Amino acid sequence: MIYPVHQRPDAAAHADAIAAEHGGAAVSGASRTLWGDAVNRLKKNKLAIIAVIWIVFIVLVALTADLWVPQVLGDPNATAANMAAESRLAPSLEHPFGTDSLGRDVLSRVIYGARISLTVGVVATGISTAIGLVMGALAAYYGGIWDTIIMRLADIFLAFPYTLFVVAMIAVIGNGIQNVFIAIGILGWPSIARVFRSAILSVKENDYVDAARSMGASDVRIIVRHIFPNSVASIVVYATMNIGGAILTESALSFLGMGVVPPDPSWGTLIQDGQKYLQTEPWLMILPGLAILSTVLAFTLLGDGLRDALDVKMKDA
Amino acid sequence: MFKYIAKRILQFIPVFLGVTLILFIMQNVVPGDPIKLIAGERKLDEVTERNIRAQHGLIKTDADGNIIYDENGDTIETPMYERYFTYLTDLLQGDLGTSYQRGTSVSSIILQKYPYTVQIAIVGIIIEAIVGIGAGIISAIKRYSFWDVLVTLVTSLLVAMPAFWLGMLLQLVFGIWLGNVTGGAFSFPISGVAGPLAKYPDWMYYVLPAVTLASVSTAYTARIMRSQLLDVMNQDYIRTARAKGLSKGAIIRKHALKNALIPVVTYVGMDFGAMLAGAILTETVFSWPGIGRETYVAITQRDWPIVMGSVTVIVFVVMIINLIVDVSYAFLDPRIRLGSSKNEG
Amino acid sequence: MAEFLNKPMGRRTFIGSALAASALAALAGCSGGNGESSGSGDSGAAAPSVGENYMSFYLSEPAYIDPYNGQENQGMAVIHACFDSLLTWDYNTNEAVPLAAADLPAVSEDGLTYTFTLREGMTFHNGDPVDAASFKRGWERVASPAMATPSDICYHLAPIAGYDEFHAGDADEITGVVAVDDLTLQVTLSAPMADFPAVVCHPSLVPVPQAALDDPASFLEQPIGNGAFKMDEPWQHNQYILCSRFEDYYGEAPALDGVYFSIQADPDTAYRGFESGDIDFAQVPLGQLEDNIEKYGESEDGFTSTPGKQVMTGTELSTYYLIPNLDDENLAKKEVRQAISLAIDRQAIVDTLYEGYREPANSIMPLSIDDNERNIWEFCQYDPERAKQILADAGIDPSTIKVTLDYNGDGGHEDIMSSIQANLSEIGIEVTQNTLEWAAYLNSLSDGSYGLARLGWTADYPIPDNFLYPNFFSTADNNYNGYNNPEVDAGILAARQISDEEQRRQAYREVCYTVGEDMPVIPIMFYAHNYVSSERMATFNYDPGTIPHFETAEIA
Repeated sequence: MIYPVHQRPDAAAHADAIAAEHGGAAVSGASRTLWGDAVNRLKKNKLAIIAVIWIVFIVLVALTADLWVPQVLGDPNATAANMAAESRLAPSLEHPFGTDSLGRDVLSRVIYGARISLTVGVVATGISTAIGLVMGALAAYYGGIWDTIIMRLADIFLAFPYTLFVVAMIAVIGNGIQNVFIAIGILGWPSIARVFRSAILSVKENDYVDAARSMGASDVRIIVRHIFPNSVASIVVYATMNIGGAILTESALSFLGMGVVPPDPSWGTLIQDGQKYLQTEPWLMILPGLAILSTVLAFTLLGDGLRDALDVKMKDA
Repeated sequence: MFKYIAKRILQFIPVFLGVTLILFIMQNVVPGDPIKLIAGERKLDEVTERNIRAQHGLIKTDADGNIIYDENGDTIETPMYERYFTYLTDLLQGDLGTSYQRGTSVSSIILQKYPYTVQIAIVGIIIEAIVGIGAGIISAIKRYSFWDVLVTLVTSLLVAMPAFWLGMLLQLVFGIWLGNVTGGAFSFPISGVAGPLAKYPDWMYYVLPAVTLASVSTAYTARIMRSQLLDVMNQDYIRTARAKGLSKGAIIRKHALKNALIPVVTYVGMDFGAMLAGAILTETVFSWPGIGRETYVAITQRDWPIVMGSVTVIVFVVMIINLIVDVSYAFLDPRIRLGSSKNEG
Repeated sequence: MAEFLNKPMGRRTFIGSALAASALAALAGCSGGNGESSGSGDSGAAAPSVGENYMSFYLSEPAYIDPYNGQENQGMAVIHACFDSLLTWDYNTNEAVPLAAADLPAVSEDGLTYTFTLREGMTFHNGDPVDAASFKRGWERVASPAMATPSDICYHLAPIAGYDEFHAGDADEITGVVAVDDLTLQVTLSAPMADFPAVVCHPSLVPVPQAALDDPASFLEQPIGNGAFKMDEPWQHNQYILCSRFEDYYGEAPALDGVYFSIQADPDTAYRGFESGDIDFAQVPLGQLEDNIEKYGESEDGFTSTPGKQVMTGTELSTYYLIPNLDDENLAKKEVRQAISLAIDRQAIVDTLYEGYREPANSIMPLSIDDNERNIWEFCQYDPERAKQILADAGIDPSTIKVTLDYNGDGGHEDIMSSIQANLSEIGIEVTQNTLEWAAYLNSLSDGSYGLARLGWTADYPIPDNFLYPNFFSTADNNYNGYNNPEVDAGILAARQISDEEQRRQAYREVCYTVGEDMPVIPIMFYAHNYVSSERMATFNYDPGTIPHFETAEIA
């Protein structure tokens, strides 16, 4: 199926699995040692280290792009002066990824595309996490009618075919990169809410929460000071994996012509551009796809590594 | 059991109403007038536009179908809640309405398109079950072997790539390069469905789209299968069996596999439901005339009757498949008691 | 035969009619017998028998094949095969010629009444006679507000007296269309329009039998016409439409036994089918015209394919243009529009993106409509220096001009728009692009929230009026930016009344020239054919109006 990772049909099962198995016990110790141990364990995970290096590399390249890419490779958006002659050149030393139909350097466009794709991944995940946390907290902490309403709402969101829902959402709020953040962000909350809800439910009845409550702590204080730190591990793992999912969704939207506004490139639009020349210049489609593949893979591996390091138990993912 | 099924079916209702209501609200806030879109870039003249609106019940008409005007001589828009009510009552009578763009009934459009989605879903689920379960078993039995590493690597890659990109790669390799290498003697069709003048045997048209459709979930199936089997192999009763001297192969066949398969089958079942929801991207890449692509195009054309109709059908099918999966899960695994709090969500 | 043909062909009878078709073929002693049904395998739908002498024509799924709503190339190809209108356009002589009419219409003194005399002995595919009343019936279906989905091509009939009342639902018939007797159709216009015969050439203004009213649902799927080919079975959506030669056709019998419309969702698939010999006509994929011309040869006139000269690249009657928002403070200035137009390197766009096989637009209409210098717009050239000069002379600082380029993001326009953006930045105009989803885009066109928007116009009839009136007449529906020049309005209305062909053309040229000075739109390019047909087609014509002519096609 074409569901992004965080919205796959088994997402709910994962959420339950994390919460049920992770429970209060696994990370209920002092959080400082938890993170210290986690870093040590992460360091031993070679794949996770490679993933971190790749992510840092891509982020650095994307952040510093303005300083060197236009000079070395060429402006990503300016069409070549002699369009017809510079159009769709094969990869060469001068243009390592070749040029597109308007004679623009494809590597330069892939690098600038990284900015957009990574930003979408992070911002959209931030939005879903924020909404998910609030919703999950409301549902779990207050229970009763809140729980019913929020969880039914989550059911409704999950019952929609995901890609169709994002497309419909973009239709409502319009094209453009900010709207892509919003659409992906808003539609991603139910899974996070479920994870957080289950996590809270499993620690809510712990003695220290009761103790805090009996000492007169406010609800918000209890959630922020006592419950959140004990659920943060599973949320971090979930959010890391979510970034990859959001990048995939963005590429799908751009592929359908609903993402970033030209001439700015995103990895999805670059693939869409390349598809037209599948038969004659296949690298135009292959290379941006490799950028997506490697980056999403890195986030998945990092998520896996964090999961093991933080001892969050998720089945199979 | 019946109580559980009845409860689950009752739970359909709020979800279903919620989904359709959200779509209806979207219709009213989304930019773009479906009727103006009928003629594309060319503008419709006012009278035609009014006639079409009246035919689709978007403005009020009397019993004879004559348009009602208010005191200013303007037409009266049918309010959203009235149209939603009409949609629901029509739905109860099995009427999904008429497409704005094509003037044909939505049910006939769905009957045309849905079989294509069902066809690749079936082929896809077969691939997923055979390849996914097979790869999972091999990698669990031969843990840390070359095959295990290969399965882990391939599944990680599949999960991390955009499915539409995988589809294009398959087109490139099996459609274009394979054709060139064999001098045109053998290749796979890269898009479309079989027709009377088709160059390829019918089955070949299903291969690439179904592989693309199944790719990600096959990877998941393999991973679930592997970890389940490893889990089960560590259980006490398996260790006991081993201690009794049963061969590894016999243990796996007789005991482990059966228990490990239950969650896998559940996953595959749920995924079948998800595949039946249509796949916009796969269908787009392969020009496959299924329900996902149809609904996507309908959204871009604001052909709401088609959107409402197909989402209605999709949501029903998915919910029913999920119900069947849950019920059979209970049959397969005696440890699960339906109605327990776990199934509440 | 007759008993088969007399039955209206609903869905249930389609097996019977398929049998009838093969019986017909056998009787006629043609080569349809050795029908090949390649690759059908074990598919659910049985493959129709398609003989060697059938042309296999690529089509994407049409919207309508019922003539009442024939609107795009796809549906019109089928409609034109199955229906004959009164007149048809001859692109060689650029004039209307009789088809189902015995002769050109007689026009009254006041230019309001056209009297058509029908040919004798015409029948529909179901055996019903074709009479004047069937034309009236067909035309009224186009204009009827009571159709399940009213037609959106009804505007063709708007010049006819009584159209407004009928269309609004206030009358039971179009009073201006009268079946005087079986063979005489009298059409009265509400105002003189000397080009009315060109309107009558439209392939959707055709007769329909009573069956169209009795069983509209079947007619939608399997229309019954009076043309050279008839549908043997209902439209197989997304698969094919099968037509065979109509043996009782009144005109010259076509050389083809039939046409197999192979419906493909994707033109590239169709092209692969073409390369492997399954499809006789396909669209050449982007970037491969040059290769194809090398392989298959280029058609001499650009519209007719013969063996060895198979790639058709003729200019179509369609214009790709930008429409400036005249309410924008910068774009409202004529000089800014002229400068923008002069800054765009149309030739580079056409060369880079279309291998030079589209034509840079030098006017709103291609010169094939009316080959005269006066129709060429002065500012449709590439001259960035002059653009800067015009702005400087008008005292406009280009850096103060900020323009958005609005277009739909799903139509493959990105490359064109990005090159226009680059062109404009060269003369110092800052451009941002704004892609919208199709529906939202049309919305912004209607409510005027755009800067420079993209539009296309395809002529309904190959006459200057059809480019000038709909786009530039102040109250015309398609005049999106509300261009209003009284001189142009008056010029068009006056030209419509001139019955002398040459004088009328001259009058339109003046209108076209005036519009060209104002630049209310900025033409970019004319679309061109990018089609290829197979070597076995001895001759096949795909005209500039994108109508395929199966009636004259031959297979070697």
